[in-house]
Amino acid sequence: MSVETQQTGGGRFPSWIGQYLRDHLLLAVIVVLFAVYPFLYDFLTGQFGLTAQMILPRTRTMLTILALGLFAMSFDFISGYTGYLSFGHAAFFGIGAYFVVLGHNGQLPVVPAETSFMLLLLIGALVAVIAAFLIGLISFRLSGVYFAMITLGIAEMMYVASNNWGFLTPGTSDPTEGVAAGSPTDVGFFEPMVGVPFVEALQVEIGPFGDESILGISVGDPQIVSYLAIGAVVLLCYLMMKRIIHSPFGRVMIAIRENEERAKAIGYNVFYYKMGAFMISAFFGAVAGALFVGYEGAIDPTNSFFFLVTGFALVAAIIGGLGTLAGPFFGYIFLEGVEEFLSREGSGGGLQPFLEQNLPGAILDTDIAGLTINEALSAFMTGHGDFYAGIIFIIFVLYVPIGMLGTLRNRYGTDSLAKYVSAGVEKRLPSSDGETAATGDDD
Amino acid sequence: MIDALTPLALAETVDLLTSPSDITGVLIEGLAKGSLYLMIAVGLTLIFGLMDVINFAHGAFTMYGAYIAGVAVLALGVGSMGFIGSLGTFLIIMIVVFVLLAVLGVIFEVTLIRKLYEYPTIFMILLTFGITITMEELMRMIVEFRDINNGQWDIGWDSPRQATLPSELGGTIEIGFLNFTGLQLMQILMGVGVVVGIWAFLNKTRYGLFVRAGVEDEEMAKALGIDINRTFTAVFAVGSGLAGMAGVMLMWDPLWDVNVPLALAVLLPAFVIVIVGGLGSFKGTVVASFLVGLIDALGTWAFQTGVITFTDIDQLMIFAILVVMLILRPRGLFGVKGQGDHG
Repeated sequence: MSVETQQTGGGRFPSWIGQYLRDHLLLAVIVVLFAVYPFLYDFLTGQFGLTAQMILPRTRTMLTILALGLFAMSFDFISGYTGYLSFGHAAFFGIGAYFVVLGHNGQLPVVPAETSFMLLLLIGALVAVIAAFLIGLISFRLSGVYFAMITLGIAEMMYVASNNWGFLTPGTSDPTEGVAAGSPTDVGFFEPMVGVPFVEALQVEIGPFGDESILGISVGDPQIVSYLAIGAVVLLCYLMMKRIIHSPFGRVMIAIRENEERAKAIGYNVFYYKMGAFMISAFFGAVAGALFVGYEGAIDPTNSFFFLVTGFALVAAIIGGLGTLAGPFFGYIFLEGVEEFLSREGSGGGLQPFLEQNLPGAILDTDIAGLTINEALSAFMTGHGDFYAGIIFIIFVLYVPIGMLGTLRNRYGTDSLAKYVSAGVEKRLPSSDGETAATGDDD
Repeated sequence: MIDALTPLALAETVDLLTSPSDITGVLIEGLAKGSLYLMIAVGLTLIFGLMDVINFAHGAFTMYGAYIAGVAVLALGVGSMGFIGSLGTFLIIMIVVFVLLAVLGVIFEVTLIRKLYEYPTIFMILLTFGITITMEELMRMIVEFRDINNGQWDIGWDSPRQATLPSELGGTIEIGFLNFTGLQLMQILMGVGVVVGIWAFLNKTRYGLFVRAGVEDEEMAKALGIDINRTFTAVFAVGSGLAGMAGVMLMWDPLWDVNVPLALAVLLPAFVIVIVGGLGSFKGTVVASFLVGLIDALGTWAFQTGVITFTDIDQLMIFAILVVMLILRPRGLFGVKGQGDHG
């Protein structure tokens, strides 16, 4: 998408841009919302203080959500669309993440130290594609539970290996503690540049000490710059995946999910399609891992190769809607939102700090069965977001198995909400070609 | 892994492998480990065989069993009871845990799992995975709140275990060149007991007949007037109870810890065994448990003697078995085509 504002036909832009924007109005609105979110957050917390802090996730959290949300989308790409539950998807996330770190540290053969971040991201993703090919050769002979288990087994092997393999952390440190980019003294500082490779003006340095301006506009906070830059990559990945799903290739993926035997009978070589889908999803999974490392600067086995990384992508996918692509992303926002809502002060301002400030002390210290309310809060709510996320997840599985986005789509009777919104707008607009009602934004 | 092999001469390795005390040591260790694995995995297999439910909450049940048993042995002071007294108390704790977790299993089956029988298998994975997350986090809350293990949910419990383990079980027994600890003997006996018990349940009781009928053909069993729902509930209860019993056994084993991550640490090998043996096959699970136990023991032995210097070699090998097995025999040792596939 490109920057453009209201303009009439015959201007500098060809008219299809207007048409495209009108067809993707909802997407544009959501992208704009995401782009202004950090500013909105600052504004709202300035205005409403702790109330806004309690409800809204911080920009820092949103950064994590971007990377892990992309991972959840890549998980949905294979699991939701072909029906093959890739239970070891964390393997690709880990490959992408570790590749960036090791590549920067110069530990990989062929790849020189301090290769640029975007290049490492791409090569790492291609390595993940190759890994997916090899894993697929073994696992696509099976289906159902067996497929889920063999992918899980392979990912767990990688997890155990990454926990013990001294190669990952040269020197004396323990591999379970993870590895940071730029940790050996002879390697330069990790300065990941995100943007178009080889075009200086279109690149920004991400990370907590990165650039403070993007595209020449000063934002003042490296966190927001990272957020926008990573967001742009995530958006691009999303659009690419969406495009693939809407292509004939994607239709065959859905056909495999609905009835593999019939797809085979029609004459499709389902193996190629499954393998292709698996490799594509591995690509984006690895990109997510690389983006995660891009901001964090370090990775350890527990937040890359571990089974629960896949597990939470699965939870997000179910809450958001399996097989909706965008759904898992929103599911992740929801999941992290719950987590942060129940966090302690100093890590985002959740429910407890809010209550402490706004309820009179007498209520908080009320004694119920030998336990004050405040104590009960810190024992059973604060820091235990996973518990409530788990319960919400169970409720979703039981009563809303198609997830939030799936439910919305069912309700409005279209296969995408964007179409519904665009159709609504179309009805109200005078039918001329050049007018656009939407404002796109380059995220 | 490439540089994990130390330059130990081949002759030396062969020499180690052919010494009788090493061979029997590895064998006994393997049998003991296999018995533990069997206890972990057998409940999973029973539940899957009848209900087609991949129970991801299985590990959480084991973890709860281990915690209950750990707290109980500490509270009752089992270590200071003498050999017979502590062993008796241990067995009573095991039965109590079995009953408690069976009740918990019944509650889950009736309120949650029953609702999803008509759905694809994948929904069972999702549901039980949700139950796992919730159960783990609940235990974390309790541990922090009640200050168990100093409120740490992720540290080991080496010293309390040694305090409660009777010295007769901890010590080594030597018969000729056979060398084993009392604990290993107890584990093997337990494993054999579980195999015999389940076999008898399936083949000698009326309920076992219902279960086998349900596995064979659910529709037909229903048509013949078997209350298949009640059978499901019973099997889920037995499976959950067995998971808890396995937790009680793990509590005294030096290689396992009583902590929250135990749930996943148990769950993954259990899956491997169930898949390697063939989903839903009791015979397969028994064979696969001992296979995995032996290979695990061999890996540990190789690490201890310095043939391989890779710390978690046993874990790596467990998953390697899974992958190799699925390449060679996609449906496991005794698997049936159609079981656990798509749709």
